[in-house]
Amino acid sequence: MKRAFQLISSAMVAASMFLAGCAQGRKLPMTTLAPKSDLADWIYRLFIEVTLWDGLVLAIVIVAFLLAIFVFSTRVGEAAPPSSAASDLKLEVAWTVGPALILLMITIPTIRTIFRSQPNLPPAGALEIKVVAHQWWWEFQYGDKDHVITANEMHIPVGVPIRLTLQSGDVIHSFWVPQLGGKRDVVPGQLNELTFIAYVPGVYPGQCAEFCGESHANMRFRVFVDTPQQFAEWEKGQSTMPTAGAAMTDKAAARGAQVFSNSPCAACHRIDGVSKGYIGPDLSHFGSRTTMASAIEANTPANVADWIVNPGRVKPGAQMPKLGLSGTQLNDLVAYLENLK
Amino acid sequence: MAAQPKPLPIETPNYLQGGGLIGWLTTVDHKRVAVLYALSAFVFMAIGGIEAMLIRIQLWSPENHFLTAGVYNQLFTMHGTTMIFLVVMPLEIGFFSNFVMPLQIGARDVAFPRLNAMSFWLALAGGIFLHLGWIWGGLPDAGWFGYANLTERYFSPGLNLDFWVVGLLILGVSTLASGLNFFVTIVAMRAKGMSYMRMPMFVWAVLITSILILIAFPPLTVGLVFLLLDRFFGTHFYVAAYGATPILWQHLFWLFGHPEVYIMALPAFGMISEILPVFSRKPLFGYPMMAYSIILIAFLSYGVWGHHMFATGMGPVADSAFAITSMLIAIPTGIKVFSWLATVWGGSLRMTTAFYFGLGFILEFTIGGLSGVMHATAPVDLQQTDSYFVVAHFHYVLFGGVMFAILGAIYYWWPKVTGRMLSERLGKLQFWLTVIGFNGTFFPMHFLGMWGMPRRIYTYGAGLGWTSLNQLETVSAFILGLAFLVMYYNLIKSTLSGEKASADPWDGRSLEWSIASPPPAYNFAHVPEVRGRDAYWVMKYGRAGSRGVAMFVAGQVPPVPESMQAPPTEPIHMPAPSIFPLFIALGLSIAGAGLVMGLWRLIILGGVTLFTSAVAMGFEYPSYGQEPHDLEEIAPSSGGIDLRKAGLWAFLGSECVFFASLIATYVVYKSRNVGGPGAGILEIPLTSVSTFALLMSSLAMVLALNAIQQNKKNMMRLWLAVTISLGLVFLGVEAYEFAHFYHQGLAMQTDLFGQSFFTLVGFHGFHVSVGVLWLATVWFASFSPKFDKSRALSVEMAGLYWHFVDIVWVIIFTLVYLMQQVKGA
Repeated sequence: MKRAFQLISSAMVAASMFLAGCAQGRKLPMTTLAPKSDLADWIYRLFIEVTLWDGLVLAIVIVAFLLAIFVFSTRVGEAAPPSSAASDLKLEVAWTVGPALILLMITIPTIRTIFRSQPNLPPAGALEIKVVAHQWWWEFQYGDKDHVITANEMHIPVGVPIRLTLQSGDVIHSFWVPQLGGKRDVVPGQLNELTFIAYVPGVYPGQCAEFCGESHANMRFRVFVDTPQQFAEWEKGQSTMPTAGAAMTDKAAARGAQVFSNSPCAACHRIDGVSKGYIGPDLSHFGSRTTMASAIEANTPANVADWIVNPGRVKPGAQMPKLGLSGTQLNDLVAYLENLK
Repeated sequence: MAAQPKPLPIETPNYLQGGGLIGWLTTVDHKRVAVLYALSAFVFMAIGGIEAMLIRIQLWSPENHFLTAGVYNQLFTMHGTTMIFLVVMPLEIGFFSNFVMPLQIGARDVAFPRLNAMSFWLALAGGIFLHLGWIWGGLPDAGWFGYANLTERYFSPGLNLDFWVVGLLILGVSTLASGLNFFVTIVAMRAKGMSYMRMPMFVWAVLITSILILIAFPPLTVGLVFLLLDRFFGTHFYVAAYGATPILWQHLFWLFGHPEVYIMALPAFGMISEILPVFSRKPLFGYPMMAYSIILIAFLSYGVWGHHMFATGMGPVADSAFAITSMLIAIPTGIKVFSWLATVWGGSLRMTTAFYFGLGFILEFTIGGLSGVMHATAPVDLQQTDSYFVVAHFHYVLFGGVMFAILGAIYYWWPKVTGRMLSERLGKLQFWLTVIGFNGTFFPMHFLGMWGMPRRIYTYGAGLGWTSLNQLETVSAFILGLAFLVMYYNLIKSTLSGEKASADPWDGRSLEWSIASPPPAYNFAHVPEVRGRDAYWVMKYGRAGSRGVAMFVAGQVPPVPESMQAPPTEPIHMPAPSIFPLFIALGLSIAGAGLVMGLWRLIILGGVTLFTSAVAMGFEYPSYGQEPHDLEEIAPSSGGIDLRKAGLWAFLGSECVFFASLIATYVVYKSRNVGGPGAGILEIPLTSVSTFALLMSSLAMVLALNAIQQNKKNMMRLWLAVTISLGLVFLGVEAYEFAHFYHQGLAMQTDLFGQSFFTLVGFHGFHVSVGVLWLATVWFASFSPKFDKSRALSVEMAGLYWHFVDIVWVIIFTLVYLMQQVKGA
């Protein structure tokens, strides 16, 4: 038993060293332990506080456990008589009141954080963005008249309060960007909100966190926290109408515009000034996005072509049908989409 | 089959012997039913384990194509559903509670042996039902908590979830019947001297678990019925477009789901509280606090369901309330952990496999409990919920806690069940493999969760830093799988050729060790008289025993007292076997299959089988004893509570929660109603008349009972006839009302008001119909010459049910009809 104990403890040390090594030597773009917004930071601080209390209790239990087994007990056949205490009022009061006090210490900051992180009204000067979750992609609408509509890549300015209103087009989803804060479910028939201020510019991956059907795992997105200048530029670009097909300098892209308009694409996808579809993601500035297919692949011509040929292979269950496009038509269409900056 | 009581031979066969296949199919012996539960649970455990292995293979590397998204979703849904409903609950409640609890309280069987057999066959049927998707349609694929509205027909058109809904409903009936059965058994069948504060802690756990089952399963049933109506009959209970909210499912589900966690955890607490004292040779530390903390945990568990829903946007006030109640649960749980430690402290320890698992439980469960405190911290939970952190948490609770307890209990009680000792060498091997495999699989999940990995994803991107920990987990999972292979090998080999077990191999403290291993069919030749806590210990060593006997040397356990060994001096008659529990389960399954497949003929066939079996079972009753109070003779009721009456009260308690769930839905949905005729359609004058009729029927019922108690049979028949007639008037008015509404354009599918009104009032109407049938049966039975004052109880029981149904109507009439009027005026 003593040997077993030594074995366990050395295994535990090795395991924690391994885990620590894992955490240091790698990039963790979705970690909750490197908060990049006020909301994520509040949660992180609370988490550390609870972890310390938990650690204290666990240490007490482990020490008591080891003492009980290895020190303050005998083995069958050994001489020392066992204690037969079946109760001890002082002890029992202690381990009722002690944990209660610890829980009180945790409860107070918990409730403070709950109220602080869920303001009733949007903070002054907040940028409001409407988030609509679909099976299996994200739509982001800016401003009262939706002057910017984009999909799967949300841009926000650093240091500005952000107020997201979350709506669902079908089933329950959950909006989660770990480095920017906790989850908020997106519930059909209910308006949920999420308020935060991002502190550090960067690109933060997010993902749907409520099981929402076949391609739940593929419902990812990205949040770009821009400097005010970058954001203004981006917003300007997005609210300008994209260059129309015939005016495009790229010949293939110009032909691709025809393919788009003549194929079923236009029925589901909106391109500002070209088509008014609303079932699929808005493609007005598709070429300006870094990723495609709800951020599961890089936005490259090869990937786009691959997607158009067989969407269900990339994202199982995707609603977009195979269009039967190939050869020049396919390449032209891809060129057109990539030109929509 | 009706065994005439006859003197038993000196060498009594044990419960496993004799009967053949038919004997097992018709058994009502709680020990045989328990063994059947164990066999099915071990098969399902293998299936659930293989599902887990496949999940771990798929997660080995990013963008893995070992499984498709669809198959993966089916696997994690079935892994959760299987492990909870087909492995853990059947092992804890079906196997251990069933086998051990009656032995520990000195009873010869459970209160309702045939109901017990029915529970098993229904559990098996439900389990098979959940797996029918293998043959056609695909397995359920919406997660074990099947969140609406993904489960609606529009988003999940296949048969997958139809099997899930029907399978869970069947399992719900099975579990509810077990809960009721065990509740009555413990309340009314304890041996003389076995007061509540002398019960073994495991019995306490089973008692409180049974109460939790009775009050927690009805909300699940209601939620599933709504889903079933949505999927099959076009209602919109969870469809936002009609003003409904899919969140309703979450409230109903977690109102069941969190108590369900304790339905699984409390028996585990009980098992640990049995194992630790025996192998420490000390009484359980802080017995009263241990009992009270179980009660407190159960009580609190009913008020914390919202902590599963912090992310749904309940608002800061509700978040805070649920955070506080969830924190509170940690206090009684902490008391338990420290009391277990204090039990071991100062003991004379015997390092058996069962004790290893008991000690392992303390540490692993503590880790799970502490991460639970993090989830109670609502803002922190927003980062952790639906991530791998939560997967780590509940596996530490359900595997590190519950499964460790079950494994310990297997090693502890297997000698009693089979008469053979399990191999300790293989047991220790299994223990260390389990500890390494379990912690290696689930501890890294805490980190993956904190590093942002969501649960239920069949694939993940490279470059997120999750790969190597996932690979560590997969390797560890296979070590864990190996541990279970060792267990299966040990179970089979030791049961066939293991060392023979004596009656009391561990120097045990509770009554099950006072009888042979395996026990005779009737358990106790002489029902023991209990003289203190740790009943058998006191019997062996006397009251001061715990202090006087310091050392345990193998082979020197005091022999079983002769009074417990002597053959029975008078005939013991046990309940006769019955095939109808099996037929009832068969009927319900056939009807369920018919519903899923849309075949009315199958539904009718199943319904007829169900009904005739139930009726036949009713007529079977006098065949194994002529007296109506036969069961009480088998095991005298403690405190003079009639078993059937206690059972009915328990059932009505459960019904209260059922109707409360329906009423709450009605109240919420009436105010959200959009379009449609709405509540304005209700006609108060007409229903006032029928309400009056129903109230008067209760009066007539009282008079009927009064008459039979004075042996005035004709008078009773008259008042019974009046009660039935008034009931029929009520039903007639209700039928007219429903038809009238339908013609005015209000159907169940019309709007929120329609669906919640028709389900609430319709279910009540169904209860009235059952009451009328019941009363009619009593009325017919009263023509038998044997029916006299001594049968007053059967009138009283029918009356109790009837009054309950009337009281429910008073509430419905006030809420649905009168309050509407006030609002209108």
